[in-house]
Amino acid sequence: MATVTHRARRHGTVRRAWRHDVALAWHQVRYEQLSFWRNPQSAFFTFVFPVVIIVIFGALFRTGGRSSYFYGLSALQYYVPTIAAMSVLGSCYSQLAIVLATRRQEGILKRVRATPLPAWGYFLGLLAHCILVSVVDVVLIVAVGRLFGVPLPTHWAAIAATLVLAAACFCALGVAVASLIRNAEAAPAVVQLILFPLLFLSGTYLPIHSQVLNRVSGLLPVRPLNQALLGPFAQHTGVNWHSLAVLAAWGAIGMLVAIRRFRWAPRPQ
Amino acid sequence: MRAQLTAETSPISTATPAGLDQPDALTVAGLHKSYGPVAAVRGVSFTVRRGEIFALLGPNGAGKTTILEILEGFRTRDAGRVDVLGIDPGDRASGRALRERIGLVLQDIAVEPYLTVRETVARNAGYYPAPRDVAEVIALVGLARQARQKVRNLSGGQKRRLDLALGLVGHPELLFLDEPTTGFDPAARREAWDVVRGLRTQGTTVVLTTHYMDEAQALADRLAVISAGQVVAEGTPAGIGGRDQARARIRFALPDGCRPADLPLDAETAGDGLVTIETAEPTGALHVLTEWALRRGAVLAGLTVDQPSLEDVYLRLTGDGGTAGRSERST
Repeated sequence: MATVTHRARRHGTVRRAWRHDVALAWHQVRYEQLSFWRNPQSAFFTFVFPVVIIVIFGALFRTGGRSSYFYGLSALQYYVPTIAAMSVLGSCYSQLAIVLATRRQEGILKRVRATPLPAWGYFLGLLAHCILVSVVDVVLIVAVGRLFGVPLPTHWAAIAATLVLAAACFCALGVAVASLIRNAEAAPAVVQLILFPLLFLSGTYLPIHSQVLNRVSGLLPVRPLNQALLGPFAQHTGVNWHSLAVLAAWGAIGMLVAIRRFRWAPRPQ
Repeated sequence: MRAQLTAETSPISTATPAGLDQPDALTVAGLHKSYGPVAAVRGVSFTVRRGEIFALLGPNGAGKTTILEILEGFRTRDAGRVDVLGIDPGDRASGRALRERIGLVLQDIAVEPYLTVRETVARNAGYYPAPRDVAEVIALVGLARQARQKVRNLSGGQKRRLDLALGLVGHPELLFLDEPTTGFDPAARREAWDVVRGLRTQGTTVVLTTHYMDEAQALADRLAVISAGQVVAEGTPAGIGGRDQARARIRFALPDGCRPADLPLDAETAGDGLVTIETAEPTGALHVLTEWALRRGAVLAGLTVDQPSLEDVYLRLTGDGGTAGRSERST
């Protein structure tokens, strides 16, 4: 009897704690959103920039038909998924790396550590925030594509699964890069230095027809995401397991570096 | 010495792990911490009782912040025993439980720029199981009129008050303040002191570091003077370093044509031309002295009688970069 009530009570506490944790995560997501949209710079560069790019491309390539240069697709059919991929990189990898490096340097991360908010709660809040921004961005990019005559994608489930996994992987890489950056002033430069060549190499802006290059970039994180989105967006194929596996591997590497090297406290001056 | 004795003799109840009915909020015994070859903390022991304001007073670099960060769970220790509200802050597993019951205000201001004051406090309130009312905390630190302002538009002093609000919002049993009023103007300091005293009346235990003597004097029920990583004295502001039992000092300018040897009592000459007579019995000494002066028709210009100030004690204890801290005179 005593054990039963004891167990019941424990079960109750566990459930209450669980509910408290969910509320905590939601609480954190809300305030991350607030902080993000209030910062004009981050809102513009991570959110508006990909939309601006797709509008420009739309205006440029509106009349283009299908061509072998774009793998039998129209230019915009090709660019909607690659720019969507770029928006995920921006809202997850770039944003997280820069925001975390800045917050650490300003002592804000240490301040967070001074509260009972557990580390997982903080990172879950960030992750959910990044996924949310990515999803809204992708929806906007698809809508702009539709305005320029790109047919809507058919494999939404595959797209959603790919987006969530990719967002998580690039968040992990963003945290990893933030762990390796020494000072916040250098963060945007380091982030762009890694990202910009990768975007070109992976065919985000121009399709790459060199097999050697594609094989190399296929092992790096950006091209697999392009491929994983091109299929369900424009080629009527479902989940691209091979590309997702490469992405997941990069996510795992990012997570490992993040767990081993992430610091909350600023470096002493 | 005295500090160690306190720690050794204080009753530490291990039977109540939650620590709720313990008389002590915090116990430190034999704490050591080195950064590479540099020994930052060398065998520090002290005890903080529930409901009191305890100050760690010492010069910059004495090890105050290191001690505080070990108590707060930010740093590991090399040796020694630490008990904060019945929890070992070095134990990662109980970190969340500890942080739900303590409040921290760190030395550097760190607040996110794009939220308003209200939003910032409300966000942190959500991290605690039983937080204070958000508006109440904002009013308590005197930011009611700035509640809707963005944090980045606040002045430095206002940001520091917001930081204090974040330390208070969780309704902590124990509040750590690392140099809480550094950079405040005199009026803001007095207001901050009033806030801290107000917390004491509500039963909150406060541990603060400071290098201001007047702050320790004004706030602390008890204090420990830290120098070069060691506790060189512990006690009340009035009694520390034997201040209350110290010999009084009678000082005056040596009358013209007198040598110190002519005086009726033993005296020391200082560089400023004043002579100092130390005595345990100032009434009698003054009588002897003034009678001597009247008889000779001499004037004792600038005559003062005083006990050593907290500042004198502090400078004596922490003098010469702290190495002379051991030379405390026995009383």
